[in-house]
Amino acid sequence: MLSRRSLVIHLSTTALVGAFAVRARSAVAADKSITIGINLPFTGADAHDAELIKDGAMMAIEDANEHGGIAGYKIEVMQLDDGTATAGQYDPVQAATNARKMVSNQAVVAAIGPQMSGSGKAMAPILSEGDLATVTPSSTNPDITNPKFAGQYRPKGKAIYFRTVTTDAFQGPNMANFLADNLKVKSVYVLDDSGAYGVGIADSFQGQAEKRGIKVLGRDQLNPKETDYTTTLTKIKSLNPDALYYGGVSQAGVKVVKQAYDIVPNMLKAGGDGMYAAEVLKGAGFPAAEDWYATIAAPNILANPDAKPWIEAFAKKYGMQPENYSITAYDAALVILDAVKSIAASGKPVTRDAVRDAIQTSKVKTLQGEVSFDENGDITNRIISVFQIHHDPNNPPDDMVHQYKYIGTAPASST
Amino acid sequence: MAEPRAGMTSDTFTRLRRAAPLAWAAPALRSRALIAAAAVAALLFPIAIRNDADIDSLANALAFAALALGLNIVVGFAGLLDLGYAAFFAIGAYSYGILSSWQLQPDWSSFWEPFQWLGLVARNHTTAGDFVHFQVSFWLMLPLSAAITASFGILFGAPTLRLKGDYLAIVTLGFGEIVPIVVRNWPSLTNGAMGLNGVAAPQLFGFNFGIAATPYYYVAVALVALLILISVRLKDSRVGRAWMAIREDEIAAAAMGVDRVRFKLLAFAMGAAFAGMTGTLYIAKLQTATPDMFMFPVSVMILVMVVFGGIGSVWGVVVGALILQVLQSWVLEDLSGWLHVLGRFVGVDWLQRVELASSIELIFGLILVFMMLFRREGLIPATRRVPALSLTEQSAQVGRGGFDRLAGVGAGAERDGEKLLEIEDLTVRFGGLVALRSVSLSVPAHRIVAVIGPNGSGKSTLFNVMTGLVPADGGMVRFAGMEILRLPPHRILECGIARTFQNIRLFPNLSVLENVMIGMHARLRTGTVGAVLRLPVTRREEAEARERALEILAVFGNRLLPRLDHPTASLSYANRRRTEIARALASGPKLLLLDEPAAGMNPAETLELVDQIKSLARIGLSIVLIEHKLDVVADLADNVIVLDHGEKIAEGTTDAVRRDEEVIRAYLGRSAVYA
Amino acid sequence: MSDYEVLLQQVVNGLSLGAMYALLALGFTLVYGILELINFAHFNVFMVSSFVGMWALQLLGISGQERALTGFALVGVLGFAFIVTMLAAGILGVAIERISLRPLRGVRGTAAMITTIGVSYILFNVILLTVGAGSENYPNPLPARRWQWGEVTIDLKEVLIWAVALVLMIGLQLFVNRTRLGKAMRATAQDAEAARMMGVDVDRVIMTAFFLGSALAGAAALIFGLYYNYTSFIIGYTAGLRAFTAAVLGGIGSVPGAMVGGVVIGLIESVGGQLIAVRWTDVIIFSILVLVLVFVPTGLFGRATPTKS
Repeated sequence: MLSRRSLVIHLSTTALVGAFAVRARSAVAADKSITIGINLPFTGADAHDAELIKDGAMMAIEDANEHGGIAGYKIEVMQLDDGTATAGQYDPVQAATNARKMVSNQAVVAAIGPQMSGSGKAMAPILSEGDLATVTPSSTNPDITNPKFAGQYRPKGKAIYFRTVTTDAFQGPNMANFLADNLKVKSVYVLDDSGAYGVGIADSFQGQAEKRGIKVLGRDQLNPKETDYTTTLTKIKSLNPDALYYGGVSQAGVKVVKQAYDIVPNMLKAGGDGMYAAEVLKGAGFPAAEDWYATIAAPNILANPDAKPWIEAFAKKYGMQPENYSITAYDAALVILDAVKSIAASGKPVTRDAVRDAIQTSKVKTLQGEVSFDENGDITNRIISVFQIHHDPNNPPDDMVHQYKYIGTAPASST
Repeated sequence: MAEPRAGMTSDTFTRLRRAAPLAWAAPALRSRALIAAAAVAALLFPIAIRNDADIDSLANALAFAALALGLNIVVGFAGLLDLGYAAFFAIGAYSYGILSSWQLQPDWSSFWEPFQWLGLVARNHTTAGDFVHFQVSFWLMLPLSAAITASFGILFGAPTLRLKGDYLAIVTLGFGEIVPIVVRNWPSLTNGAMGLNGVAAPQLFGFNFGIAATPYYYVAVALVALLILISVRLKDSRVGRAWMAIREDEIAAAAMGVDRVRFKLLAFAMGAAFAGMTGTLYIAKLQTATPDMFMFPVSVMILVMVVFGGIGSVWGVVVGALILQVLQSWVLEDLSGWLHVLGRFVGVDWLQRVELASSIELIFGLILVFMMLFRREGLIPATRRVPALSLTEQSAQVGRGGFDRLAGVGAGAERDGEKLLEIEDLTVRFGGLVALRSVSLSVPAHRIVAVIGPNGSGKSTLFNVMTGLVPADGGMVRFAGMEILRLPPHRILECGIARTFQNIRLFPNLSVLENVMIGMHARLRTGTVGAVLRLPVTRREEAEARERALEILAVFGNRLLPRLDHPTASLSYANRRRTEIARALASGPKLLLLDEPAAGMNPAETLELVDQIKSLARIGLSIVLIEHKLDVVADLADNVIVLDHGEKIAEGTTDAVRRDEEVIRAYLGRSAVYA
Repeated sequence: MSDYEVLLQQVVNGLSLGAMYALLALGFTLVYGILELINFAHFNVFMVSSFVGMWALQLLGISGQERALTGFALVGVLGFAFIVTMLAAGILGVAIERISLRPLRGVRGTAAMITTIGVSYILFNVILLTVGAGSENYPNPLPARRWQWGEVTIDLKEVLIWAVALVLMIGLQLFVNRTRLGKAMRATAQDAEAARMMGVDVDRVIMTAFFLGSALAGAAALIFGLYYNYTSFIIGYTAGLRAFTAAVLGGIGSVPGAMVGGVVIGLIESVGGQLIAVRWTDVIIFSILVLVLVFVPTGLFGRATPTKS
């Protein structure tokens, strides 16, 4: 007797069985191909940036495939999303699951990503156990590659978390140096957006600022889900520091830019690489965004003459302007492809171990110059570039190439 | 029950006979087979599917099933809508995280030595001095988290005790928001937004769980199995019945002896404990925790699982949670993959980029709305469908003449005629309105006293004050020599006063039998431990309680016995009245307060009821009766009290009262006096 | 800036915030007063309307903050935007009531509230999945005028908020107290059965309550966008929690209560943020919510009791 209840049970059982059946299919890889995993938060607040990063990596991968692959190996891509709707952004639990997926899939020899350090912290131990190297274009939290925490993030000992950006151990402090040396700032108020990245970079900035004798008049935390920051900004106005430093991403950043323009229009304002985003230009617009400083944890790639044709090709192919991390993602892909090439050239099989070792010792020419890694996986080049937003009316307002003017490198700390 | 009782048909008797050994609701053979199959599948899954990521996903799904079970106790059993359940998940997670990572490093001192001896902390030598390193074992932490989280459950539940459904929800939502904010803003304890890292993996007999998903998976299976067992055992016990009584009708529950404060807090504590243990497991597996993992959307997700699966249904919520998680992790992803392939085939760019998994929250919203509109009981409803009655069972056969004996009900120590209940100068005001004004009366033991009067004269208010539902503004009520005026309703029931309500307050979604057994709540002793463990003494108590319930129901012939498992909402009006009386009798009272028991009954039914009430008095019950049917009053009452506008205007035998001028004026108006 | 001036500036800020919360709380309290229903969807109706307002302005060719208008052009543009936004919001509110709430009218318990959570999610995710998670640069035709008083500034925007808010609140009070439909609403709020028996079309009353409440949310949304030059899919969330607390604080079901509650919450947010720290604002607001519900459930002005009888 087919009652409604048993129908429901039968349907759901069939659905579950179907899911299992699909699960059971093994990873199909064509002969002579290797797979690169790309793990980025395609769901939630960072989805747009994730797309741009992926596109950067795909430029290298598709380019390689068009030229017959690397030493005859076709490059497959396993795209994974570590953002969930429930978290509204990256989700460390999903990142951990994705890391396991990549490790389980024997065809995957290397990975690109994650975008956010929160995901990286969850993924690193799993990748280490699986001997799978990943190259991240944007994760800047220093703890993951810090040898002090090696037991936690790379239990097997070898470095597996490689970066084509440098870390907040330098980004925050070097900007503090820049404020002290180049801009002669004597007092500052620090804000963060209560996120893992924002708190980290604001902390490192504040620490160095205090060391350099800049008076930190206060520190407060903004809620990115809130809209009104006038209370904090009014407080800052009354304290009248020389500068305002915001550590965090654009979700709160856009509102800070807009409201700061109303309340403290003449104050010097600076942020980290979270403020180097098309989102800031688009969301805040001009004249609000004018004169904001932003840094990136890499050299000024966009000024590289080789970069210009690349940028044009990107814009043509994807219909959008690339962002800084599109390029570091492209570089990350180049690193992996170069590693595969060198292994194939030496006649050895392309395995995860071999790829990891090859990445570790690589010296690759990329858009940001020559890239190589230290024993922890950090990029050896520790340049922090400083930009300032200046409105260029001849170009579209969200064109990062033309609206962010390169100022120079931020001075490294002497200690 | 060795032989049929008078008035029972053979159909009913056979059914009851068969039902007796199944008093513990052992599932039918088909459900048992399903459960066994599911258990085998769960155990074999990691062996069949060797993909670590899939095992990990299913372990996560099981964790959410455990959370759904916990919320099911709070929302499903006790009817308390908790919108901030993720807070308990967070507390359990961070408790383990803080006590098993490098987050806290207080200076070493001799205070820590006993803990070191117990293996809970280690002494960490560094160049800067000696520090404490917390390393509480995962296995010890599971019950410890449960205890810590349960305390928070009580802490967060306490302010909500007197709030109505939606306000309770809002307060719990508030707490649910406060916890992650506090976690984020207390970096010295929790490392704030940066997240707690380096949480130790569990170890079992020297084997470190590490990162492989399989050991965590099995622990998750064990946890879910344990929580299912606890839920099922609690549901079918005195504790579960008390919760469901609170959910269905709090006032009636209190009037039947349920201590609402205690059981509501117990529900919060139990639900919180489930979440606490799950949090500990979840974080042990991930070895990191951030406050963003425990925000409002997580609470809503668990609520969606409970609503989808079936509020109050143990297996329902497990299935609901698993389906939604599998939907999220696998089905939508695979569907997206197929759509991508289709898109490549058809050349539509949008299809190639669509990610269905990001619309899971939209799906949750749709599920909530659809379920509430079209299938509120969920996928697997909590209440079983009952078979239809046979023709013989449907025709009422009730003998006249009443009965001589009724288990649990009967003469107490009081002497016949001595004052059992004394009310002196009772005054009740509702704002400016005086509902009762200096009313005094007394009820002798083993007698029937009737209270009559026009509508609005304060009769029901009198009952409400006597049973503690309404506060008094003056006067005194003494029962068997004891002052009961300031006591809470459930304590008054324990003293021996039971009542029915004017507009019948049964527990509509519970069966007749369950309603009556709730009446016995105060006389039974089983607590949480007994219910979960099903000790022999508990089993005996339940069997005896059931026997007594059947005996009491048999008072009404075969009107109620064939309908034992029917939800009372489906009964006729008269049958609901009878059930309510049976429920009151089940509490073994000395004094029974009946509020218009004959209302809505036809003459034959009324006669039947009169016989039954007479029998009750004969076997030693004292009764106070509010009635409008004066023939019933005449037949039953030893003494009649007349109220009008809150004042006692007459007292005496029925005849005397009938002729009293004041009474006539009150009922019929001034002119009638001179008619 | 002297301490006194900072505080004064924060009070000015707080009053503007308060006006917005008041408008949002008003709509919410209207529905609660009649249905005793906590309508979670209200705050995402607010969010959706803010996008509608943005599109309405963009339709007129206003985008970004580049063009500032004055005089009749400004009044005309704003008038158009307000009418469109409030109408759209009102219609959305009525649709929600008709489709998802009317069938549940008789069901006791929290079923209706759970349904509003579901509707809220649907609205939120539809916007998120279509428009995306980005911050939108809200078109703003207002000229940037401000008045100084020492170091304390008051913007034209703030004056506008208060002007619109006062007009709407007074209009609502007049409607509820002077018109027949308003009287019918008050009757239904006190006793729906009795009102029905007296010939009041309860369905129509409820529809009106939803329409008015949502329209007020729409007005609040447009003001919000003009004030902050910003909107995104998430604005319903925190504004909603604050407005809800305002309604509860003022006494849920009470129109003057919502207004007073809104202002109080706005002031707490700004002055509290100044004196303590902004990071604790949410905790303070939630604590107020919990404390009011537990200890003073009727709020400042309310009559409805959230406890059992």
